[in-house]
Amino acid sequence: MKPYFAKMTEFGHALKKGRIKSTEENLNNIKNIEEDVADKVNRVKLAGFPEEKINARGQMTVWQRLEYLVDPGTWCPLHTLYNPMNNEEGTTNVIDGVGKISGKWAVIIGFDNKVMAGAWLPGQSENILRVTDLSKRLNIPLVWLVNCSGAKLTEQEKFYANRRGAGTPFFRHAELEQMGIPVLAGIYGTNPAGGGYQSISPTILFAHKDCNIAVGGVGIVSGMAPKGEFNLKAAEDIIERAKQFRTKPPGSVSTHYDETGFFRYVFEDETGVLDGLKAYMKDMPAYHPKFFRVTEPKEPRFPIDDLYRLIPLNPKRVYDFDEVLARLVDSSEHMEFRPDYGPEVYAGLCKINGFLVACIGNRQEYLGRDYPEYADYPGMGGKLYRQGLIKMNEFVTLCGRDRIPVIWLQDSSGLDVGDAAEKAELLGLAQGLVYSIQQTDVPMLLLLLRKGTASAHYLMGGPTANRHNAFTLGTAASEIYVMHGETAAVATYSRRLVKEKDAGRPLEPIIEKMNKLAQDYHEKSRPLFCAKSGMVDEIVPLRDLRKYFVAFTGAAYQNPKSICPQHHMILPRIIKG
Amino acid sequence: MTHEIVAPLDGKVFQLKIKPGDTVEEDEEILVIEAMKMETPILVPCDGIVREIRVKEGDEVAENDVLVIIDEELIEA
Repeated sequence: MKPYFAKMTEFGHALKKGRIKSTEENLNNIKNIEEDVADKVNRVKLAGFPEEKINARGQMTVWQRLEYLVDPGTWCPLHTLYNPMNNEEGTTNVIDGVGKISGKWAVIIGFDNKVMAGAWLPGQSENILRVTDLSKRLNIPLVWLVNCSGAKLTEQEKFYANRRGAGTPFFRHAELEQMGIPVLAGIYGTNPAGGGYQSISPTILFAHKDCNIAVGGVGIVSGMAPKGEFNLKAAEDIIERAKQFRTKPPGSVSTHYDETGFFRYVFEDETGVLDGLKAYMKDMPAYHPKFFRVTEPKEPRFPIDDLYRLIPLNPKRVYDFDEVLARLVDSSEHMEFRPDYGPEVYAGLCKINGFLVACIGNRQEYLGRDYPEYADYPGMGGKLYRQGLIKMNEFVTLCGRDRIPVIWLQDSSGLDVGDAAEKAELLGLAQGLVYSIQQTDVPMLLLLLRKGTASAHYLMGGPTANRHNAFTLGTAASEIYVMHGETAAVATYSRRLVKEKDAGRPLEPIIEKMNKLAQDYHEKSRPLFCAKSGMVDEIVPLRDLRKYFVAFTGAAYQNPKSICPQHHMILPRIIKG
Repeated sequence: MTHEIVAPLDGKVFQLKIKPGDTVEEDEEILVIEAMKMETPILVPCDGIVREIRVKEGDEVAENDVLVIIDEELIEA
């Protein structure tokens, strides 16, 4: 299929000096936000004991283990700021992301052994379920660095039980294994109770010589058989038994290597465990990239740092979407799907690192007096109209047919509204897009370039499409809300304003509430809030976006569950005509 | 050569960033039109000097109204 993919249509333009002059403030504002995000990320890295203290115990930190394990330059962290239950530790206490190990993509996750020796914390199981979902969606191995002291007992009611509680990941591990997706685990330290299941549930266990895994640890074994109260004699008994078990904790290597054989391998050194994982990943079944590549990888023709000038931080500011995309895809080349139809939506085939991907995004400019064709008002980009919805329905359906992963670049203020829009069937077409996405069964990535608003956030590959959305990335410019805060304030208080006015009462108290609501919306839609609450899986600096695209695409093509031969693809033929 | 910069859409002049006699560079943002809740920046098509500004901030403009006139050749001289 060389005629289709070797040289596609070039798009984009180099920035002119006037543009550079006009966008200095925007660049600085975005970088300021990125620095703030980086500062918060650094705080997560520094949580708990300092690295020196862990190293003095003869242990590596989870960060050091990751650095040793992952191929240089491939680590794409996810969920770093995820902390939905507002833990005082500032983390869910697992560190995860996508990266290569021995040349193969994997989803990688480890307990932060600096924080309460890797304890379960509130929100952690949700984090782990996102990670197991990711492994399932991309059909790539899950690699664990287990070092889990069990539950933070003083907050167990927040995470121990429930449908998506701390035990659910064990069922997800079983599910992955039943789907043929291996779960490898390097095991360190003391892993009692929940930590024991974290250790035993993976497929192959690589143990450090000093680790132990057990149904119950020292604390549980020495404190069983409740007597109704604690007194001095009980305390002395506890001390005696704790000393006994501390000398020889249950489930050590002598038990689970020599006796049960649960541990497949035992290593003297911490790095030996990681070398063991690397050796297994090297042998992991995976397609060679050449199997699916349509061309040799090439960088975009324009510098990625241009994005700091092309994406306005101001959510109202119009910009040229095509110029943004041209900074992210190979050679700044594409094959656009139906360019003369549904102008508010970009849909096209592009290449990332030599692999074919489908890209869908929101164009932002004014659409002219004659569009949308069903209304007597002009259209504005960022909104979705009838043609755009039909175009996306067609495009994702064909992507599913041709087995092409999809990257959504979302920046939408929502669907057109009003009776003309209803008559134009927007509601049915929108849910039709949900149906189309659901039936594709191809991995999707959402980049929330700027606004994720109203139902458009759901429809355009949002995390709500969670069977197919592998992960969602945010930027310094991202904001997510059901509607703009000021719109919400009007919707909430307009009738109250009328009532107060008719009653002759002062309006100021209501106005104050409206301003408060608008401000609250603003604060709860910004990048840090989105990352903390999990609306996005990571806030990524603009200059790293392509790196995540490369990781997503490479992972999606490593072990796809089904294949469309390139010469059987229909979408490129439809575009060519 | 003279360039007439026209409004691409109906709206209100939200920001005016130039004055007559200013030197401007290709793709520089010289004004912003607010319409349909969005802000559309107006860029100059060439290096030049602002000869005339026919609008002020707050003015309502219609599509194709001339907003600004730029002299391209003056910068070459």
